[in-house]
This record gives sequence, structure tokens and C-alpha cells, in this order.
Amino acid sequence: MTSTRTLFLTVLLAVWAIPARAQQRDSLEALKRLTLDELMNVEVMSVSRRPERLSEAPSAIQVITQDDIRQSGATSLPEALRLASNLQVAQVDARQWAISARGFNSTTANKLLVLIDGRTVYTPLFSGVFWDVQDVLLSDVERIEVISGPGATLWGANAVNGVINVITKDAKDTRGLLVSGGGGTELRGLGSGRYGGGLGARGSYRIYGKAFSRDPTLLPNGLDNTDDWRMGQGGFRLDYDASTSHHLTLQGDWYNGRIDQQTAADIAVSGANVVAKWAHPLSAKSDIAAQAYYDRTHRDIPGTFGEDLDVYDIDLQHYALVATRHNVVWGVGYRLINDNVANTAALAFLPAHVARQWLTAFAQDEIALAPERLHVTIGTKIEHNDYTGFEIQPSGRLSWTIDSASTLWTAISRAVRTPSRIDREFFAPGQPPYFLAGGPNFESEEELAYEAGYRHHRGALLFSLATFYSRYHGLRSLEQVNPPAATPIVIANGQDGESYGAELTAQYRVSDRWRLRGGYTELRVHIWPNPGSTDTSRGATESQAPDRQFFLQSSLNLPAHLELDAGFRYVGAIAKQQVPAYAELNARLTWRPIAALDLSIVGQNLLHEQHVEFGTTTARRQIERGVYGMAQWHF
Amino acid sequence: MALLNALTVLASALLVVQNPRASEYQVKAVFLFNFVQFVDWPSPAVSDSQRPPPLLIGILGTDPFGPFLEEAVRGERLGARPIQLRRYRAIADIGECNVLFISRSENERVPEILSVLKNRPVLTVSDGDAFADHGGMIQFVTDKNRIRLRINLEAAQAANVTISSKLLRVAEIVRPPRR
Repeated sequence: MTSTRTLFLTVLLAVWAIPARAQQRDSLEALKRLTLDELMNVEVMSVSRRPERLSEAPSAIQVITQDDIRQSGATSLPEALRLASNLQVAQVDARQWAISARGFNSTTANKLLVLIDGRTVYTPLFSGVFWDVQDVLLSDVERIEVISGPGATLWGANAVNGVINVITKDAKDTRGLLVSGGGGTELRGLGSGRYGGGLGARGSYRIYGKAFSRDPTLLPNGLDNTDDWRMGQGGFRLDYDASTSHHLTLQGDWYNGRIDQQTAADIAVSGANVVAKWAHPLSAKSDIAAQAYYDRTHRDIPGTFGEDLDVYDIDLQHYALVATRHNVVWGVGYRLINDNVANTAALAFLPAHVARQWLTAFAQDEIALAPERLHVTIGTKIEHNDYTGFEIQPSGRLSWTIDSASTLWTAISRAVRTPSRIDREFFAPGQPPYFLAGGPNFESEEELAYEAGYRHHRGALLFSLATFYSRYHGLRSLEQVNPPAATPIVIANGQDGESYGAELTAQYRVSDRWRLRGGYTELRVHIWPNPGSTDTSRGATESQAPDRQFFLQSSLNLPAHLELDAGFRYVGAIAKQQVPAYAELNARLTWRPIAALDLSIVGQNLLHEQHVEFGTTTARRQIERGVYGMAQWHF
Repeated sequence: MALLNALTVLASALLVVQNPRASEYQVKAVFLFNFVQFVDWPSPAVSDSQRPPPLLIGILGTDPFGPFLEEAVRGERLGARPIQLRRYRAIADIGECNVLFISRSENERVPEILSVLKNRPVLTVSDGDAFADHGGMIQFVTDKNRIRLRINLEAAQAANVTISSKLLRVAEIVRPPRR
């Protein structure tokens, strides 16, 4: 252990020792030679990781802007995520969503990392996300970045097949009072308020509160699923420029919700978090950022399980442009979780209470082989977790800027999905004899991903194509302990797999008034048992995703202060669940009689009375057509 | 625990090395330097000496530029006129200047400052909130990590400051509400 620690520190120090002094004078002279147009396109240092022009980023990234969200009529984060065509998004019931990238979707999808303002929203139970408690005031969202493909070098261990980065606005951009309220058939009611103001000359703050109530979904037989859902949330954000070079952010949220259940008492969810950040540009070519957060969640699903989770996390990262050709980013992070599960007769996590630690370090160097033309990026993440020890996740990327409008890129990455509690510590039923048991020897699932893409941006057209092939080793399998007896079964790494496909997105501004945005994704996932494995599911429990999906959003500004927006989506069949293909349409009409007031009517899932998006024939729920009206005042 | 301690030491070692500077203001400094070339002022009064009068860029309040503005204009001229910097602590200190950058530290005094300058041919620039709406001439706004310009053309015209169409073309023109 001592020797590995020494190695770890040596690597850190080696990275740190790269000289960080920058040639400011040179860059100033270079800036002075720019035209006004060029100068306006210069990216000023943002607070973390290094700024990168989207058209140059060598990865499959899609961005959902505030306008996209507003025009879609989305009322929750998962609904907004439907706007990224490189995600598989399926509504399961009133509160549950299955969201993933590049397949491997399920209600416990475990290969996607989701961050809200830098805070990883994550349950160590299954390395996934409880979407019912991830909410923000959507009008305060600046943008959502969705990266499909491995992001494991820079981001955390969940980033096997994608990263979702929800970024809310700086408090200085949300001054004033915003009040909105409305309701309808599925979204019974939604009310929210936000107030933002200044703190002296250097700071800004905002506070917000929101509450909603949602109608239940339907059982396969058409009866009420009694999953009515009520929730309240509040929070704040404070941004303060302590000096011109110290930016501080303090933000937090609190929420409390109730969801009805058919055969047991209501599900109770509650939680709170607080995040502190500090960003400090050291020079024009170097900056440092640190963040710490505490996140607490409580979940009680009577009859199934309860969980109290505390997460403590601290991160530090440093960016520097070195010797004009090297963009170096490196960082370290530490996370501690305290997870306490209340077991039931149905299932158990044993031991019920665990504390786990993660220690990560990453370093990445983007090297300008030919400045403005050819860049190679190499990097690695080294992570230590309590289950499998050290994990190394390197990646290499190459981007070639053909001309000012076109970029070709390619990448090869290794990523791992480290064990979560469900893999090793899960037992069902809650007492022996168990028919299902966690695998004490469950190791990380490994991925090797090859990607290539092309991005084009000229004038009113933005077009992007990403293709990928990934090979997986040691995917989760369910093994018979005493074959041919079907039970008991134990969790192991008995499957391998591959996935391949293409993600196409485009945006086109037809005129000043009319904008189109669309995407098309083809995806194949094949999973097979390794020799010796008794798992015959061929991945039915691991990956439930459609072979293809299509999305088109149209945003039209009409005369007389009217806006008409529509979003059409086609989602292919999920063969492993026999969920049929479906097409649906959302539409929104907004009238702005005065600048401060928006009156909207929104229809969601308009094409069918009800439809199914996810789940086996008995477990699936029907999602109904919904219509709601909303008024929003801005003072 | 030893590892944690080591990291803490490492982190604190890092934090003390550097002199603070914001690249945002490097870009803004270059913008200010550019403004000089895209703006025309009424001809300066003919001075007694043979030397052409300097073109003065003033900074009112806490200087956010660090060395950047100094470096951006060092040795630069507009025609024969050397470009020079002046720093002012308070409104009363403002002497003859052609461009005045009003620091965010003066945010609350902006209406007062503008009324003092009223109709003097000084190009007023700030990155304070709603500066152009309050009668300032050029406001920097940061949007998606890029610097944008908002220009109050009427305020400039009232002060006899002529802004080139080249600059207007890349800016958002702010129209003050009719009184």
C-alpha cells in the first residue's frame, strides 16, 4: 500500500511540476491583432476545466440551451433531456425515468454520469440516478451539456457511456422577480418563484421555490397506477467576485416529496445539498478551481427499502497553457459516502450501513501539433475505490480542424464501471435463504471505445455526426449457483458485449423567425455469455434500448407576439421488453402581450391517448396525453 | 490519512504561488484599445506646444485590469497622439480624458457620474449591469464566455462622440425608453 501511495504522489507531483508561468505579453499582442469580430469570438476564461469551442471539442457533445428548454415546454429535467438525441430517455411511470447514452438503459442504468452545477447526483446503490429527486428551476438553467461516449478521463467513474452536465445561470444573470404558475391534466399544478438581487457591487444572489403535483400513470389494464406525485423544492445561489480574480459561488437546494403507492404507504423522498466553489484565474493562461459539497438524501419506499445517504466531496483542478502548445488540465478529488439502508422483507443490502471512499486524480494534455489545425489530447484518470482498488482510465483524442467550419475527430478510450452496492451487497429476499445474492468477487466492468466524428458549422447550419464502436468485458451477469437449479443466483462478471452506432444532429436557422433542431441515432448492443457463464439472458436485464430514434424541434416566432413550437419524436421498439415503437408530439403556443408576461399552452404526447415507453409487459405503465397552461411574469 | 495530508499540503502549496489576474480583463483591455481607433472626438483645442496632445484613457474606481491595459496601450499612438492611461479615484478627479472606463466598484454612483460628464465628449465604458440602459455609451456583457458590446448610440451622439459603423455593426444597439 505504501508503495502505491508513493507512486500516486509521484505522478501528482510530476504533473504539478510542469511550469505554469505563462507568456502573457505574447497573447496580448496576438489579441491586439484580431479584428473586432474575431475579438468577440475569443473565449474568456470560464471557471473550470479549460474552455473549448464547441465546434472544436473532440467528442460527441450536444448542448441544450435555455431557449431549447423553454420552447420545448419541458417541466422537469428528464423531459428537457429528451432534447438531446444522443440520449435514450424513457418515462417509466409518473416519477421514474430510464435514461442512458449508447444503450445499457434501465431504471437502474449505471453507465451515465450526471452533474448539476458540478455536484454528482448519484446513488451508490446502483451507480445511477434517482431521477425523481433531481430537479432545478428550469428557467434558471443556462445550458445542459450532453456528452455521449466515455468521459471517464476528466469526469467520474460513472462516465462510461456519457456525461450530463446541468449548468445553472450565474446569480448576476437572474436578477429580478420571476413568478410562474399553471396546471393541467398530467401536470396538475406547478408554481414557482425566484427573486434575485445584488450584494454590493461585487455580488449577486437568488432564491427560488417551486412546487408541483403530477397525475398518476395507468396500469397495463388501463386502471390508475396510483403514483400521484407531489413535491416542493427551494434553494439559493450566491455569486461573489471577491476581487477581479476570485470568484466564489455558494448554492444549495432543499426538497421534499411524496409519491403514492398502490399497495403500501406513500414513498417519501427528501434531501438537501450545499455546494461551495472557488475559481481563481492565476493568469491569462492558467486558472485554478476548487469545489466542495455536501449532499444528503432520504428515501423511504415502504415495503421495498429505505435509504439515508450522505455524500461529502471535494475537488481541485488546475488548468494551464504551457509553452504555447500544451493545454494541461489536472485535478484531484476525494469523496466519502455514508450510506444507510433500511432493509425490508423484500430485499436487503448487507451490510446495511457502509462508508466508502473514492480518491481520484486526473491529468490531460491537449497538444497543438499544428496550432489551430491539429490537436492531440492524451490523458488519464487514476481512481482508487474501496471495492477494486486502483483503476486507470486513459484516453487519446485527435482533432483536425479542416477549415474554420469543419472539424474531424477521433478517440480511443478505456472506461470502467466500478462495482456499486447492488453488485456486491444486494440480497433478495431480505432474509435467507436468498434466491439472489450479490457477488463478493464482482469486479469492474470494462469498456474500450473507439469513436470518430465530424462537425460542421457554417452560417445558419450546424451539423454533427458521431460514430462509435465499443467493446465490453465482464458485464454483469446472473449466474446459477447450483445449475441446473434456476435459483439461487449470484451476481458475477460473466458477460461480454459490443455496441456500435451513429448519432447525427443538426440545427438550422431557416430565417430570423424559424429555427429547426433535430437528431437521429442508430444503436446496436449485443451481449453474450462468456464460457462458463450460466447467464442466458443475452443482456436482457443490462441493456434495454431502441435500435433507432429520431427527433425534430421547430421553433417559430409569429407576428402579434406569438411563438409556436413543436417537438416530434420517434422511438424504435425496445425488443427485449417487447415495447412497441412509438411516435409522439409536443407543442407549445405562447403569447406575450407585454414583455413581462408569457402566457403558454402546452400539449405533451399529443398523438395518443396513452402510450408505453419502457418496461416488460407486466411492469410497464401507460403515459397519458397531457395539456397544461402556464403564466409567467418577469419583473 | 497520510495521503490526505499530503494532498492538503500539495493543494495549499499550489495556492500561494501565483499573482492574481483575470484573462477576462485582458480581452476587455484590448477592446478598450480598439475603441480608440473606432471613435471620433471633436478636434482637440490647439495647444501652444508643438507636441500633439495625448489621447487619454481613464479608469474610474478600482482598476480591474491589472497590467493588461497598461501593456495594451504601451507605446501605442493614434496618428501622432500617444495613448496614455489615467486613474481616477473619484468623480471630482476626472480631468480631460477621451475614454473613461467606469469600474464595477462605482456601480452605485453611475447615474451621478454620467450626470457630471453630461454632454462632455468622453466615451464612457463599463461592465456594470445595465450601464448602457442608464445612459452609458458602451457596456461590456459576458455571454457564453464571450465579450459582447451594448452601445447606447443616443448617449454618444448627445456627447458629440462619433462611433464608427464598424464598431456599431458588432454591437447591440440599446434604445433608451422615450421620456
